Amino acid sequence: MHPATATSVPDGRTYRTPLLRRRFLRGLLAAVVTLPLIGAAAACGDDDAASDGKVRLSIFWWGGEARAQLTKQALDLYTEKNPDVTFEKTWQANQGYFDKLATLTAGGNPPDIFQIDDNFLAEYAARNTTLDLKKYQDSGDLDTTKFPPSLLQYGVVDGKLAGLAAGENTQGLVYNKTLLDKNGLPEPTTGMSWEEHVAWAEQVSKKAGIPGTQDPSADYKAFWVWLRQQGKDLYSGNELGFTVEDVTKWFELWKGARDRGATPPPDVIHEGNATDITKQLVVTGKAATSWVWVNQMPELKKNTADELGVIAYPGDPSGQWARASMYWSIFRGSKHADVAADVINFLVNDPEAVKLLGTDRGLPSNLDLRRVISDDATDPAMKQSITVENELAEKFGESPQVPIKGHSKVKSELTKAAENAQYGRAAPAEAAAQFVEACKAAIVS
Amino acid sequence: MALTTAPDPTRRGTGSVRPPAPRGGTGRIRHGEGLAGYVFLSPWLVGLMAITAIPMLLSLYLSFTNYDILTPWSEVEWVGLANYERMFISDPSWWHSVRVTLNFALIAVPLKLAAALGVALLLNRAWRGVGLFRGLFYLPSLLGGSVALAIVWVNMFNREGAFNSFLALFGIEGKPWVNDPDWALETLMVLAIWQFGAPMVIFLAGLKQVPTELYEAAAVDGAGKFRQFVNVTLPMLSPVIFFNLVLETINGFQGFTAAFVLSNGTGGPVDSTLMYTLNLYITGFTDLEMGYASAMAWVFLIAIAIITVIFFSTGRFWVHYSDGEDR
Repeated sequence: MHPATATSVPDGRTYRTPLLRRRFLRGLLAAVVTLPLIGAAAACGDDDAASDGKVRLSIFWWGGEARAQLTKQALDLYTEKNPDVTFEKTWQANQGYFDKLATLTAGGNPPDIFQIDDNFLAEYAARNTTLDLKKYQDSGDLDTTKFPPSLLQYGVVDGKLAGLAAGENTQGLVYNKTLLDKNGLPEPTTGMSWEEHVAWAEQVSKKAGIPGTQDPSADYKAFWVWLRQQGKDLYSGNELGFTVEDVTKWFELWKGARDRGATPPPDVIHEGNATDITKQLVVTGKAATSWVWVNQMPELKKNTADELGVIAYPGDPSGQWARASMYWSIFRGSKHADVAADVINFLVNDPEAVKLLGTDRGLPSNLDLRRVISDDATDPAMKQSITVENELAEKFGESPQVPIKGHSKVKSELTKAAENAQYGRAAPAEAAAQFVEACKAAIVS
Repeated sequence: MALTTAPDPTRRGTGSVRPPAPRGGTGRIRHGEGLAGYVFLSPWLVGLMAITAIPMLLSLYLSFTNYDILTPWSEVEWVGLANYERMFISDPSWWHSVRVTLNFALIAVPLKLAAALGVALLLNRAWRGVGLFRGLFYLPSLLGGSVALAIVWVNMFNREGAFNSFLALFGIEGKPWVNDPDWALETLMVLAIWQFGAPMVIFLAGLKQVPTELYEAAAVDGAGKFRQFVNVTLPMLSPVIFFNLVLETINGFQGFTAAFVLSNGTGGPVDSTLMYTLNLYITGFTDLEMGYASAMAWVFLIAIAIITVIFFSTGRFWVHYSDGEDR
């Protein structure tokens, strides 16, 4: 209350006071309501402040502290060479990354350049969120002449180049070498059949007292390799590339392994199914192997004192392919798409930048530079993963099509079905039937 | 709470609003005051509109579309009731999450209230150090829905956790509680029950309001401690019980953080911790089906509203307000 206003007019004409105050209050109300809007408008205006030739690009990736440092250095190098271009760098851990990316996109404020992987590339490309990089490839602004053709092809969705591989990677079975040596056990080798692998793991369980292998039945990347070795695929066009019978066989393979004591109890398998590197059973000491990506070797090594080895997944190694560990994509609505394309080109083809980035995102996509990096590598774990990957590269099969829209649901449904079988809540055939039904619903909707 | 504007000077409730001070001036001035009121309200009002009301209405619209977050608004398609049909007819995981959530709320909420009332009764006495104990029992609920707490819980209740070490002292072999689909949800229930501090403090306040002469009269009439509890404490406390029941039920249904952390955001193992809100989150942000997730949110809102209405309509049979008003 403001008692002063009622007495401030000496001649007693009090009617003016409320009127004045009302006007004042209305103004205030208007100000309160509109100020945030003005603020918002001003914030929007920032994007257009490129009139002086200066460009500020936003770039977003997931990864750890080490990747952040390397990426920042590489981007700073670009700014050094192109002083007009600066970056707004944002990065975070893998968990929650795609939630954030989707939310930014929905808010109409996605980064100009973002990192993406094959699990989501088609989801984004199918919705036209990613820019088709073909025109830059055709004009030569994006040099892909040194790329392995299958790696480049693995970024194409519906005939559009949706993402450019930031590095090459492939599935790797990592085992605890120290444990095997201590118990006089043989190391597994590339080319062992799945049955041989299970038999080997059973041996390890018996002698070493630690489950020989993690049960990967919930892991889509192991399932995928196995399918390709059976002449099937995860997807074929817009449909599933496998049948209930295939899944049943896959689940039964691992039920057999569990029954023989080759794998850990279900709760430990569940722990190891987390994607987090620090929870992989080979580093927590709860199993002798883990099913990972070859480029994760250096990170795994940091989490254990034991010596680790890495080979291809069991079966014919031609079931594996030159997989893009992750891609660089450009948002379709980016105002500086040309500059963004040049930055991506710099990150994958500039000798200095590639040298800085090393093998953090997998082997460099540019084969010439890959050779240089391989020769210069000093970290033993990194050297090991490069050697293995180069060996495997000679045996790689054709790249499959990139996973389709609905893939993230298919992945989680596989985990659910496999765990149902692992915990003994469903027979393999039952779990397989439920899985296939759920997948069909997921990729249709 | 019982917020009423009835200008009844004889009422002495904690929540009752005092009648306005002597009114001076004319209608015009009062009109001005009303406007001033709105101006002072406006930051909140703008916030309510921008952060709550408008997004809510938008989500109602989205629930009738196939919005998937990435597609621009202009290309979103109207799908009518398809999302709602899918939920009730062809989505087993939706029904599963409903069962998980009901299971959680039906067990955790009554036990939490019972724990809160029991401890409140013990602490409603004047003995040395009672303040310390009140503080200690209240502490867990301050940590509320914190992520850190959920991580501690996971580590306490896994195969190598502290709880199993404790059981081992008695020769009992534990289980991998959080990684066992038969026990993961129960572990979350224990976490919720453990955080009974907030309802406990409200119960304590309610207990202090019960007039001691009622106990004295009951004692004179020969009622023992148990009769006193049933015939004096419970009826006198019923408004507070009602308040806690409504709030905790709504809280229980909305449980998210602990389930998210415990399962790495998946609702596992084998969907055993797939609470409704977690399922909604996964549907919207991981599977990118935001239209469908919006429909799920609206069904959830309506379900909670119905449950609350049921509480309020049954309340008049068992909630007694001591001011003699017939409600």
